[in-house]
Amino acid sequence: MNYLELISHVLPEIAVLVTALVLIGMGCAGGSRGGGKAVLAVTAAGLGLALAAVVFGPESGRLLEGMIVVDALTRLFKAVLLALTLGTALFLFPGGEAGGNEGRGAENSALLLLALLGLLVVVGTENLLLLFVGLELASLALYLMVVFAAPAGRPAEAALRYFFFGSVAAAFLLFGFSFIYGATGSIDLRVIAKVLAAHPVEPILPLGVGLALVGFGFKVAAVPFHLWAPDVYQSAPAPAAGFIASASKVAGFFIVAKVLVLGFGVVEGSADWGAFAMGWAPLVAVLAALSMVVGNLAALAQQSVRRLLAYSGIGHSGFILTALVAANAEAVRAVLFYSVIYGVASLAAFGVAGCVLRARGADRLEDFAGLGRTAPAAAGVLALALLSLAGLPPLVGFFGKFQLFAAALSGGTPGTVPGLLWLVALALLMSAVSLYYYLRVLKQVFFAPAPADAAPTRDTSAGTAVCLVCGSVLVLLGLFPSLVLQPLQRALVQLF
Amino acid sequence: MPSDPQAYLTLGIFFGIAVAAALVPIGLSHLWLRWFTPAKPGPSKHSAYECGIEATGPARIQFKSQYYVYGIVFLIFDVEAIFLIPIAVAFLDLPLGAVLVAAVFVLLLLESLAWCWAKGYLNWK
Repeated sequence: MNYLELISHVLPEIAVLVTALVLIGMGCAGGSRGGGKAVLAVTAAGLGLALAAVVFGPESGRLLEGMIVVDALTRLFKAVLLALTLGTALFLFPGGEAGGNEGRGAENSALLLLALLGLLVVVGTENLLLLFVGLELASLALYLMVVFAAPAGRPAEAALRYFFFGSVAAAFLLFGFSFIYGATGSIDLRVIAKVLAAHPVEPILPLGVGLALVGFGFKVAAVPFHLWAPDVYQSAPAPAAGFIASASKVAGFFIVAKVLVLGFGVVEGSADWGAFAMGWAPLVAVLAALSMVVGNLAALAQQSVRRLLAYSGIGHSGFILTALVAANAEAVRAVLFYSVIYGVASLAAFGVAGCVLRARGADRLEDFAGLGRTAPAAAGVLALALLSLAGLPPLVGFFGKFQLFAAALSGGTPGTVPGLLWLVALALLMSAVSLYYYLRVLKQVFFAPAPADAAPTRDTSAGTAVCLVCGSVLVLLGLFPSLVLQPLQRALVQLF
Repeated sequence: MPSDPQAYLTLGIFFGIAVAAALVPIGLSHLWLRWFTPAKPGPSKHSAYECGIEATGPARIQFKSQYYVYGIVFLIFDVEAIFLIPIAVAFLDLPLGAVLVAAVFVLLLLESLAWCWAKGYLNWK
């Protein structure tokens, strides 16, 4: 094995890892005297180097039987993950979360980068075992980020719940992978696809894929594996919640789509109305339908905005999985595109929620009252993010949702009723429901008077900048979706 | 790869036997309890006969959770260091790259030790 070749292909990961280690060293040496700026500078420099390594690194390669894969798609998503992480890192600083963060900024950033490292490994592999290792690395760092900078109490409970759910889901995932290995004799997705195409399906394969779906369902917070999400989103520090809702979810959907479509495309089955066939598609369709209904209906009853965003995220998992059921190139493109714009909108929404939380001490709906007058920029970004999530034109959310549903309807023979019409009809209905609870938040923001004793909403300039960038990305992509769609399309052509 | 559903029949039978082997003794003992041994609770019957000593005091006590930090640090240097043994065995045949990888691994362990030390987690309070 040529080490130089290996290193050149994992240079972004190495840059992130080294930065994380440097940050731990800084935490070791620095103590508590405000090293926030230095920490931010090191983090940003590391992420910038990693981004440069992605952009200028090798264009394609497949090392160690698919353990390390570099192609246009993985490069694109590594860049997206790096950008989302940079946004999260800017939220962390300085005077970030109230209290507990003092003197622990370096470790907090190191954890963020280690979680990112796990996600980069997940995105850049076609090997089930390395995929599992990457997911675990990301999960372990995220469990810690939920409690790390927070006072004792609720965050600890949420982190414990996250940890227990996560460990059980990881066990399911690994158990499923072991069955898949037993049935196909390989942990390389491309070899698995070849074996499945050439041989009849082993009876234990459905068990393996089903168990793996449990693990993936946890990662993307699909019902019924969603129970950790509301508590974690509500109790974790806003940057950590933003990271879990953006980068972690983007990587989750990326890997679900890649594993199912690339590795198990042969055993898809069918979830078409009246033509159900055994495979993973009916299971994913059930997950999608449950997620849409439970997520969107439960969001109606929420008082905490972060909890509301958590349930809306569960609903969005349902929307995205709806398109995945179709499992063609168009569907994968729609899934990946929507997961990216969902990540951007979530990051912006959690950024503003965190800013309100710091100023007013809570994030109930009432606490957002009058935000439109006291902090017009933050309110505007929140409006853009929520309306994009609701799917109103001209924001990119509309275009993304349209693509999702069009892809879901595109399968089947032309001229007949599309088999997935039942799922898309449900999705449209739930999409209309979602508009109600997003508007409930915006009504408070723009039409309710601010309480007389409201503290002015101040945020770090870094946080505001990230919010504004996210908001403009949502508008810009809504007007020119081809900015992301064309690279995505080119990347997917290589894959299929 | 042969795919014979019959091959899984033995597995299914084995599974059934395993479940039965767990449930049948419990069920039998319940039946025995119902028919032959009526409940006669009493202090001597509830005593921990040949099962250790009587518990005293509440179960919830204070103890130093710092022990766990020690436990984790011990784990890092005890269990993780085992990964060095294969490298030590094959040391003379290793290429330069592998030696560097091993060195990086040792440096990682050292950094975690330095971090724990600097943060004062090694001082027993």
